[in-house]
Amino acid sequence: MQSNGTSRRTLLQAGAGLGLAATVPATARAQTGPARGGDPLRIGVMTDLSGPFAGAGSVPLFQGAEVAIELFNERGGVDGRPIVAVTADSQSKADVAINEAERLLGQERLEVVTGIYSSAHAVPLSGRFEAQRKMMWITSAIATAVLKDKNYRYVFRPTVHSDQYGEGSVSMIHEHAQSKLGIAPDKVKLAVIYEDGPYGTGVAAAIEANAKQRSMPIVLKEAYSASAPDLSTLVTKLRRERPDVIFQVGYNPDITLFLRQAKSGGLRFRMLIGHGAGWSQIDRLWDTFGADVNHMCNVDPAATQMLDWSKLQPGIGDLAKTFVDKFAAKHQVRDLPPHASMGFNNTWIFLEHVLKPAVRKTGGLSADALREAALEVDIPVGGTIQGYGVKFEPPGAAMAGQNARSIAVVMQFENAKSRVIWPTAIGVPPVLPLPPGHAYALRS
Amino acid sequence: MDPFFLEALVNGILLGGVFALPALGLNLVFGVVDVVWLCYAELVMVGMYTVWFLYTQAGWPLGLAFAACLPAIAVLGLLLHLIVVRPLLSSPPINQVLATGGVLFFLQGAATLVFSTDFRSLGVDMPPMEVGEVFVSGTKLAAFIAALVGAGILWAFLKFTYVGTAIRAIARDREVMPLMGVDPQKIYLIASAVGGALAGLAACLLVVQLDVHPFVGLSFGPITFMICVMGGLGNMLGGFLAAFLMGLIISVGGFWGTTEFSYVVAFAFFIIVMFLRPKGLFAR
Repeated sequence: MQSNGTSRRTLLQAGAGLGLAATVPATARAQTGPARGGDPLRIGVMTDLSGPFAGAGSVPLFQGAEVAIELFNERGGVDGRPIVAVTADSQSKADVAINEAERLLGQERLEVVTGIYSSAHAVPLSGRFEAQRKMMWITSAIATAVLKDKNYRYVFRPTVHSDQYGEGSVSMIHEHAQSKLGIAPDKVKLAVIYEDGPYGTGVAAAIEANAKQRSMPIVLKEAYSASAPDLSTLVTKLRRERPDVIFQVGYNPDITLFLRQAKSGGLRFRMLIGHGAGWSQIDRLWDTFGADVNHMCNVDPAATQMLDWSKLQPGIGDLAKTFVDKFAAKHQVRDLPPHASMGFNNTWIFLEHVLKPAVRKTGGLSADALREAALEVDIPVGGTIQGYGVKFEPPGAAMAGQNARSIAVVMQFENAKSRVIWPTAIGVPPVLPLPPGHAYALRS
Repeated sequence: MDPFFLEALVNGILLGGVFALPALGLNLVFGVVDVVWLCYAELVMVGMYTVWFLYTQAGWPLGLAFAACLPAIAVLGLLLHLIVVRPLLSSPPINQVLATGGVLFFLQGAATLVFSTDFRSLGVDMPPMEVGEVFVSGTKLAAFIAALVGAGILWAFLKFTYVGTAIRAIARDREVMPLMGVDPQKIYLIASAVGGALAGLAACLLVVQLDVHPFVGLSFGPITFMICVMGGLGNMLGGFLAAFLMGLIISVGGFWGTTEFSYVVAFAFFIIVMFLRPKGLFAR
């Protein structure tokens, strides 16, 4: 993704890349806007601005959050009190994420940290936030394992969880197997390849469970390291097993490495479905592969521009348009990546529906007040710019802290744009299988 | 023979070619200068960016971009020696390792500053070769052949030239050679430049196979070090052979087991070698 003159971001990235973010005191970055009437409200924003995750969606996640805070402040903050983000770069390393979280909570004395791109970071961090009774507001990390059976009280996740990814991709294939592929659903051969962290493992487990539920055979299920230098043997094994549909769960560069080696290794299939992270960076994939990624699919919460804004709750369409305009003015992109929408949307939900009422109620900013406000959030479907509603699972529930109204969609790429194809009720008919002449389509 | 197993074998050999050049360069520098360049993979990363920039941004022909990459990274190797390594030659080894480790982070940070964290692709691909049911990547095969040619040229340089002979002599006994009129500082400089050029050549071969980003060195850097140690640190032939051995273990292990399992086997093999032959598999 190119950026046009976002010098602050570039500087931040540079500082982070040089390791400065880990060694110097956090720079409290006041947001521009008219909210100047009172003491600022400080919140943490932790994402990966360097390392491999930066290029797999974490940077647009941060940029989306940045726009949300700017807009919130432009609209007056909380009764004139602006939000000030204390940023941290977790550098795509779990140990750095833990140290930065300790710094934000200890040195900076913050009551809440938002962001957290990677499930590999969210898993170890969540227990620490819970133990310190500080709020962790996850805007991206999706592994079900972060929350399942943990009964956390201070960890909240407005976005989707990994079980929903498996349900989306397997359901889409199951629904269209007979009509589009001409194969009975229980005869469609599936393969699952995934990065071996909590994110990949969680989504792969969900795919397997959903496939079993629908009696769809999995001919190969295999994990790999996202930093593996070679995946050609995996390609060979996939070619041997001849799957009809391949599900990949990866970051980057593993996705591009796999696609490149799959092409040169003669691997052909009827469809390939990615599951967020690197697969949601359509700009990058298009830059690298061009039309070769046309008609491939991806599962993630919908980027806001894919939705019909007129069908959202009153005022939400305007909010979505404001976000898209502001984001596009700051960053040059062909198609806003879902992570930008996630960063904006989930930060906006926090600021508008959790922080604002909590501050108004208590006059201050405490994790306990934020927690109480979060549990009272009740946004109907269509009430956020990504289409889903918000209602958190209460303490005691198996997924306490998880947004029960989050929705993942399956999207398909077409000429560097994405369009929703599942749920079928809101999507357009998919192109399935990959059309003849496609670089990865089965040869007749 | 199962054609898919045969393909895994071929993949393993080609993967060995990917590891072999960085292993050669690293071993050359260590063998002569007696300093481990912890930032070696990052020199390769800079080389990959050089090719990417010249080809996709400056519009140079690919061959010319490759040709420019070798001397550019050779100069970088020279500068690394002059600025970082030479002042520390008489320091304890840990200082040298920490200093080149610092260069590693510096180069990653500098690349982030200049190119951001985006993944850059050369967009160059060669059609695969198809023999029966066996597919061989054209790009990897070309890279493998180039690696062999590069290794051959290095061997000829070390074997048949006066400077090469001096390099080998210094590598064998750095105490005696100065007494015979060889200026070790000059040889260190030449070895650093040649080591840099090998990193440049490795960059040319890798940039057609991997996306370049500031942390691409993490994909092959650690395993390159492991290969060097396994082959015998400073032993160029040992490192070269160990690269192919490691490539085969990873590929065949992945074929019989899983991709993750193959690395377990590779690391277990490495540990066993370290127990049985602490100076390396091919140490004399």
